[in-house]
Amino acid sequence: MDGLRRHKSMFLLPGLLTLLLIIVFPLLFTIRVSFSGWNVSNPEMDFVGGANYVKVLQDSRFWAANLRLVLLAGGTVLIQYLIGFGLALLVWRNVRARRLWRVLFLVPMMTTPVVMAAVWQMIFHESLGPVNDMLAKLGIAPVHWFTEAGPALAALMTVEIWQWTPFMFLLMLAGLLSLPKEPFLAAAIDGAGAWRTFWKVTFPLMAPVSVSAIIIRLIEASKLSDTVYVLTSGGPGSATESPGYYLYLRGLKEQQTGYAGSLSLTYLVLMVITLTIVAALLARAFKVPRQSSKAKEQ
Amino acid sequence: MTLDATDLSLTVDGVDHLKDVTASFQPGRLHTVIGRTLAGKSTLLRVLAGLQRVDSGSLTRHGADFLTTPVWRRDTAMVYQQFINYPHLTVFDNVAFPLKRAGVARDEIRRRVQESLARVGLTEFRRRRPSQLSGGQQQRVALARALVRGAGILLLDEPFANLDYKLREQLREEFKTLFSDQGDAVVIYTTTEPAEAMMLGDVVLVMHEGRIIQTGPPGEVYDRPATTTVARIINDPPMNIFTGRIAGGRIAVDDLQVTRVPAHLADLPDGTYQFGLRAPDIALASAGLQAEVTFVEISGSETFVHLALSGTGFVVQIDGVHDIALGDRVSMRLRPERLFAFDHSGALVRSPSSGPGSPEGR
Amino acid sequence: MSRLYATFKYTLISVWAGFVVGPFMWAVLTSFKDANGVQGGATYLPWVQYEPTLTGWQNIFGGAGGVDVVRPFLNSAVITLVASIISLALGALAAYGLSRYRFKIGFIANSDIIFFFVSQRIMPPVVLVVPFFFLLQWANLLDTIPGLVIVTVALLLPIAVWVMVDFFNGIPRQIDEMAMLDGCGPFGAFVRAILPNSVPGLTVAAMFCAVFGWNDFFFAFRLTFTEIQTLPQAVVALNSSIPPWWTLSAAALFGMSPLILLAVWVERYLSKGSLPGVIR
Repeated sequence: MDGLRRHKSMFLLPGLLTLLLIIVFPLLFTIRVSFSGWNVSNPEMDFVGGANYVKVLQDSRFWAANLRLVLLAGGTVLIQYLIGFGLALLVWRNVRARRLWRVLFLVPMMTTPVVMAAVWQMIFHESLGPVNDMLAKLGIAPVHWFTEAGPALAALMTVEIWQWTPFMFLLMLAGLLSLPKEPFLAAAIDGAGAWRTFWKVTFPLMAPVSVSAIIIRLIEASKLSDTVYVLTSGGPGSATESPGYYLYLRGLKEQQTGYAGSLSLTYLVLMVITLTIVAALLARAFKVPRQSSKAKEQ
Repeated sequence: MTLDATDLSLTVDGVDHLKDVTASFQPGRLHTVIGRTLAGKSTLLRVLAGLQRVDSGSLTRHGADFLTTPVWRRDTAMVYQQFINYPHLTVFDNVAFPLKRAGVARDEIRRRVQESLARVGLTEFRRRRPSQLSGGQQQRVALARALVRGAGILLLDEPFANLDYKLREQLREEFKTLFSDQGDAVVIYTTTEPAEAMMLGDVVLVMHEGRIIQTGPPGEVYDRPATTTVARIINDPPMNIFTGRIAGGRIAVDDLQVTRVPAHLADLPDGTYQFGLRAPDIALASAGLQAEVTFVEISGSETFVHLALSGTGFVVQIDGVHDIALGDRVSMRLRPERLFAFDHSGALVRSPSSGPGSPEGR
Repeated sequence: MSRLYATFKYTLISVWAGFVVGPFMWAVLTSFKDANGVQGGATYLPWVQYEPTLTGWQNIFGGAGGVDVVRPFLNSAVITLVASIISLALGALAAYGLSRYRFKIGFIANSDIIFFFVSQRIMPPVVLVVPFFFLLQWANLLDTIPGLVIVTVALLLPIAVWVMVDFFNGIPRQIDEMAMLDGCGPFGAFVRAILPNSVPGLTVAAMFCAVFGWNDFFFAFRLTFTEIQTLPQAVVALNSSIPPWWTLSAAALFGMSPLILLAVWVERYLSKGSLPGVIR
């Protein structure tokens, strides 16, 4: 559209500049502070070179948290995808009380993670909570949900799955609802059964939605920290610490601002690289054609 | 009052969308632009509307530069091939939209919209939304909106191409009447259909691969297509073009003598030419040239028979529905008095409507 | 076969529905308990296993020795609303520009700008909170609603851009073009021809903004102190290791109520059919 070049910035700039203004200072600040020894007893923007980064490399607790995130984010997102897609298929069509189920399945994502974490804490309470109570009725010994590493991770993952499967459900259901009808008619005419129709028609058509839903969820899940803070406080020991929570511990609780800055930047670089690789792998796994720039060219 | 394009060119990714397009569009006349899909017709309209930039060339309106005039000040209305209306507005408000933007008084808007809707026969649908109308009705809304403000330039980009055959004919008829009130507007109408271009246009522009390859009144373009390409584009089915030799008062394809040399070609020197013959100008006969049937299309009251004659394909149009099987061998006869002659480069040498000895001027 | 399948289907649906409802049910039950109902172990049936009381609910609505959740609720509402509106307005504008025009700044093209917006979501709030602290301190906006609105916009704007770019890409460009031919400038075409047809997209974007704005905890947690408290903060403050669970439960349910209504609304939008029905 010629003659419009002067106008196009008018659309983009307000939003772009606002975000830049809000984000650039924090980023620059973090970069600068990561080269300083700023901490609670020495709140100075001095310069200590790469000392913080050397420390990051040797910080086994940080790296353990990152590895744990692979399980916490990767594992829960995979489960969320499977359940969310499954639920979306179940209530897509031909189901009684469809709207009731849809509303129900959406509700958890609307709830506040920290608030629900507090509720879940009551539920997993080792002596007063209903989970152990019911297990006892089944003759199973009480599980030490918050004092043993395995159960604590399981509890955390349960909460994550409960909270965010609806997000997956929403994106997948919206995707299903916008599918064209013709391929399904064709499959029906060909006499394909439900199973074949799913693998030959539904799944390939849903591949692009699947990939973007999984990536969005991975991005959001990787920030996991609120829930950890309330539910387990990273414990027992450091068994449920996520990178986000560990950053909180070092940066906010212990106020090692300089060190937390270098942790943050290391983490961000790791995340960008990992997510880029994961996105490419997912696109290949789902056989999605490489996406070209979405903005149509004129 | 004219709209003049000079040497407009646009290349995208190495493909010429427009190449040295020069044309003068006159007020009060309907220009049809005919060309195949992707010939550059839509691009030309988008450039005229200001929706598309060009690499080079100039565009003037009333003699003043028009390229730098922004879209919204070009006093141009456009109807798209896709039925484009404002989905959120009623039919009435859709048609009123350009008038409101132009600051026309309320009563005046009411009057003109109602008049406009009456003209396209949509008065009773004025409170509906476009999505509640059929395709034909949606396109009438678009037409009404384009006509209502009496824009100085009216662009129609294959407006009826997405409609079914019958509706297309009907709207085409109506369009002719609708347009008769448009006064001094420059009207440009693109189409892929020869009949439409010839029937509607005061002036026909033939486009091919981004170029305008012939301009003229419909009769002239029809009778004297400047090149074999034009001859193919402006005829449906495309004109049969075959290479042959004139020798000794006979025309031969390869070694096969196909017909005598007709009077209007009599003074042409012997040699190789490309000949053109329209599909209705070939007849199936009981005796004559033996050809093999390769394809048969039956369309309404006509039958199109595709024939192969010693490696050259012909399309024959015959009246009525005929039961002809693929692979049949049939006899065909050319009507020599209808032959066009082109030189080896494809330029017209002689047409049936030019008498002997009158070389084709350009 | 189909009967078996139906049984299987409804079993799965019911199991998941039970899992979804469970925590809410527990919160509802607990909100009507008191110390006697909690301390003896898990109890389920009111009147049978414990005597229901309204203590929890009284506590959150200004009962003696209770906590105030109404003001935090209003704070959260104002912050979410204002930040969502700003994000939607700026986000829709930017998304429209990115959808319709081609930007080229050096090697940076449209897809890179979109990526820049969306990539902000990778940043954990914890990373931003310290610099934001100094930023707001410098601007004298610590512990104020405008301060929280500004940082919340940083959370929500990327979401709005992400949703709206996709949405605008689905609206035929000819509609904008026609509006301009009909006499609208570029901005007029956006406002008069595109925005009115963008209600479904704006609805989805608004929903995401509401969810992520309302549910933010870390920013409020670290950038406000005494003056302003948001609802998640107020609830978490009640979360000590042992009771008053009844107050916590009541506060949690109260705090979640507006967004649970949102789920009903979202479902209606889904069932009505999205974009294709509107644009055709």
